[in-house]
Amino acid sequence: MIDLFGNIAMGLGVAVQPMNLAFCFIGALLGTLIGVLPGVGPTATMALLLPLTFGLPTEASIIMLAGIYYGAQYGGSTTAILLNLPGETSSVVTTLDGHQMAKQGRAGAALAIAAIGSLFGGSVATLVLAAFGPIMTRAALSFEAADYFSLILFGLLVSIVLAHGSVLKSVTMVAAGIALGTIGVDINTGQFRFTFGLMQLAEGINFVPLAMGLFGVAEILRNLENRGADVGTVRPLSSLWPTRDDMRRSWPAVLRGTAVGSLLGVLPGGGATLASFASYSLEKKVAANPSRFGKGAIEGVAGPETANNAAAQTSFVPLLTLGLPTNAVMALLVGAFIIQGVQPGPMMLKQQPALFWGLISSMWIGNLMLVIINLPLIGLWVKLLRVRYEYLFPAVLLFCAIGAYSLNNSGFDVLVMVAFGAIGYLLIKLGCEPAPLLLGFVLGPMLEENLRRALMLSRGSLLTFVERPISLTILIALAVTLVMLALPSLRRKRDVAFAEEES
Amino acid sequence: MFRRIKTAFAAALAAGLTLGSGLTLGAGGAAAETAWPLRNITIIVPYSAGGATDILARKVAEGLTTILGKTVIVDNRPGAGATLGTTLAANAKPDGYTLFLGQVSSHGIAPNLYTTLKYDPVKSFVPIVYLDAIPNILVVNKNLPVNTVDELIAYAKANPDKLNYASSGIGASTHLSGEMFKAKTGIQMTHIPFPGSAQAITSVIGGQTQLMFDNMPSAYQYVLSGDLKALAITTLQRSPLAPNIPTVAEAAKSVDLSTFEATSWFGLFAPAGTPKEVVARVNAATNELLKKPEMIKFLHDSGAVVGGGTPEELARHVDAELAKWKGVIDQAGVPKQ
Repeated sequence: MIDLFGNIAMGLGVAVQPMNLAFCFIGALLGTLIGVLPGVGPTATMALLLPLTFGLPTEASIIMLAGIYYGAQYGGSTTAILLNLPGETSSVVTTLDGHQMAKQGRAGAALAIAAIGSLFGGSVATLVLAAFGPIMTRAALSFEAADYFSLILFGLLVSIVLAHGSVLKSVTMVAAGIALGTIGVDINTGQFRFTFGLMQLAEGINFVPLAMGLFGVAEILRNLENRGADVGTVRPLSSLWPTRDDMRRSWPAVLRGTAVGSLLGVLPGGGATLASFASYSLEKKVAANPSRFGKGAIEGVAGPETANNAAAQTSFVPLLTLGLPTNAVMALLVGAFIIQGVQPGPMMLKQQPALFWGLISSMWIGNLMLVIINLPLIGLWVKLLRVRYEYLFPAVLLFCAIGAYSLNNSGFDVLVMVAFGAIGYLLIKLGCEPAPLLLGFVLGPMLEENLRRALMLSRGSLLTFVERPISLTILIALAVTLVMLALPSLRRKRDVAFAEEES
Repeated sequence: MFRRIKTAFAAALAAGLTLGSGLTLGAGGAAAETAWPLRNITIIVPYSAGGATDILARKVAEGLTTILGKTVIVDNRPGAGATLGTTLAANAKPDGYTLFLGQVSSHGIAPNLYTTLKYDPVKSFVPIVYLDAIPNILVVNKNLPVNTVDELIAYAKANPDKLNYASSGIGASTHLSGEMFKAKTGIQMTHIPFPGSAQAITSVIGGQTQLMFDNMPSAYQYVLSGDLKALAITTLQRSPLAPNIPTVAEAAKSVDLSTFEATSWFGLFAPAGTPKEVVARVNAATNELLKKPEMIKFLHDSGAVVGGGTPEELARHVDAELAKWKGVIDQAGVPKQ
C-alpha cells in the first residue's frame, strides 16, 4: 500500500507539471468537443493529431491522447442524450432513457448526472487500475475462448430485458443484428460472407454508420414527419440540475455502474462494450418498478454512463501492464508510444515508471477537468436545442456524414448510414427497438468467433464449456437467471410491467 | 472535398510541426534540376493509423519532408486486408505526387490469395526502394517444455496434434510462417486465427495456444519479461535488436531449414507510369534517409533489418516473394477467393 501511495505521488508529480496539465486539459477539451460532434470519433481525431505529438515530450503527448479518448467517451453521451445520436457503442444505451429525459425537458439533469457519474466511476476505476492493474491482467489472461463464449451468451440472453416492448420483437432484432454482424471476412476461413462482391464490405459493416443511421438519421426522419405538430426534439427544460429525488435514485446506480465497468473494462476484446449494456440490464433488474425504464429513468443514464467511463479507465490495464490494446483507440495509443520510442508492454512499468504513473495520475486530473469543462457547458448544449429544427437537423446530418466519411476516408460508409437511416425509420414504424439490434451486431460476431475457436481448441468437444471452471460458473449463473425469469411470480410481475407500459 | 479539407489540415499540422522542431526546409541544389516536387506528396498506407506500417510510413514521411523540401503526408486507406488501399494507389494519377507503402501483404501474399484483385503487384506499380524487413519471432508459452527449435519439432512429433499456433488472421505472414514451418518440418499443429496480433499473442501468453510466429517488436517485450520463450527469428540474418536469438535456419539441426525465411518487409512504390526522374529522386532521398543514424536507430529498435538499394533490387525482391508465398499457399492448401 505504501508503494501504491508512493507511486501515485510520483505520478502526480509528473501529471501536475504545468505543461502536462495543459496538455491534459487540451486533450479533455478536444475529446469533449469531438465527442459532441456525432460520429467524429476519438480514433479519427487521434489519427489526425498523431503527427502533432511527434515533437512533444512522451508524457505530454500520451497524456493528451488519453485525454482525447476519455473526453470523447464522455462527450459522446451528450449527443446521445440531446439528439438520440450514439457515436460510440457505449452510448447506445444512454439514448434509451437519456433522450427520453431530454424530451421531457430534463436534459440538464441527464447531462449533469452523466458528468457526475463519469467522474465518480472514472476516479474509482483509476484507483483500481493503480492498485490492482497487474493482478487484474493476470486474471483476464486466464479467460479463454470457451469462457468468452459463455460470458457473451450470458450478456446476449440477459439483455433481452433491454427491450421494453414485445419479447418476440426484441429477439427478432437481436437476430437481425447477429445476421448483419456476419457480413465480411470469416476469421476462421478467410472467406467473404454476404459481401456481394463489394470490397467495402470485406471487413463488415462499420458500427458507427450503422448506429448513426438507426438512431440519429431515423430520428430526424420521424421528427420531420411530425412537423407542425411538435417541431423540435425536446421540450423547453424545467431545470438544469438534478433534483434531490434524482440524486437519491442515482447514487446506487453510480456505485453499481462503477463496479460493473471496472471489472468488464479489463477484458481484452470488447469488455468495455459489454459494460454499459450490462449496467443498464442490471439497473432494470434491481429497479422496484422496471416499467419506468425507457421512459426517462435517471438510473438508466447514471448506471451505464458511470460504467462506460469506469471501463474506459480500466481498459488501459491490459495496455499499460502487457501492451495489449483492447480496442482501436488503444491500438492507436500503442502507435503513439512506439513513435515516442517506448514499446508498450510488460517492461514499461519497470523501464518508464514516471510515464506509467504519470499517465494514471493524469487520468484522475483529466476526469476532474472533464467535469469542470462540462458542467458549465450543459447550459450551452441545452440552449443548442432551442435552435429551430430546420436549422438544427441539416447541421446534424452534415456532421453525421463527415463522421461516417472520416472513419475510413470512404464515401461508402456515408451510404451505409443513409441506408440504415431508412431502415431505422421503418423499424420505428413497426414498433421495433434498434438497441437490441446493435447489441446483436456487436456481440454476435464475438459469440461466433469464440464458439468456433473454443471448438477448434477442444478438437470439437462441446464438453469444453462445462469443463472450464470460469465458463461453467457463468453458465450456471445464466441458468439461474433464466429460471428466475421463468418463475411464475416473477413473470407475473414482468407481465404487469408490460401491461402498464402498453396502457 | 472532405478529403481535401482533411489533407489540408494534416498538411498544416505537419508543416507547423516541422517548423516547430526547428528543421530547415529546402533541398538546395537538387531542387533546381527538376520542378518536382511543386506541392505536397502523399504516401498511401493501406492500414489504419497506429499500426506498424503506419508508424513506418510516418517516420519515412517525416524524413522525406526534410530532404525533399515539401511536406509528405500519410493517407490511411484501410480495408479488405490492405487490398482496398493498394487498389486505390494502383489507380492514382502517376504524377509523382502519390506514393505507396507496399509490404509483404500487398506485394507478396495477397496476389496469391485473392483471385478478384483489381491490381497487379508488378504491372500496376513501379518499385522505388526497399525500406526494411522486420523478422517474425517464433515464441512459445513459457510453460511449454521446449527451449529450441529442435525440441519443438521433437515435442510436436511425440504429441501429435496437441499444439495450437496462433496467428493474426488468415493469409497474414504470422499464419503463413506457421504453415511454412509445418510444411518444411512435417509436424502437425492446429492453426487458431485471431482478428489481430494483440489478441493472438495474448492467447500464447495465457496458454490457450502454445506458439506463434509474431512480428518481432511487440512479441519481443514478452520475451524480455519472461512471459514467453523465444526459439528463433525468421530472417536469414540475426536481428540487431536481439542478436542472441538464433535464426530458424541456424537453430534447426534435425531438419534442413536453411532456406526458411518469412519477414514483414516494406518498400516504397508509385503507380505505374510515374516519371523516371521522380522515381530516381525519391530513391536517392530515401537511401539518404536510411543512412541517417536517427532513422537507423528507429528501425533497429523495431527489430528491423535496414533496407535501401535500387528500384531494380526491390523489383527482384517482389518477384521472389510472390513466388515463395505462392508455393506456401499452394502447399498448405489455403483456400483462395
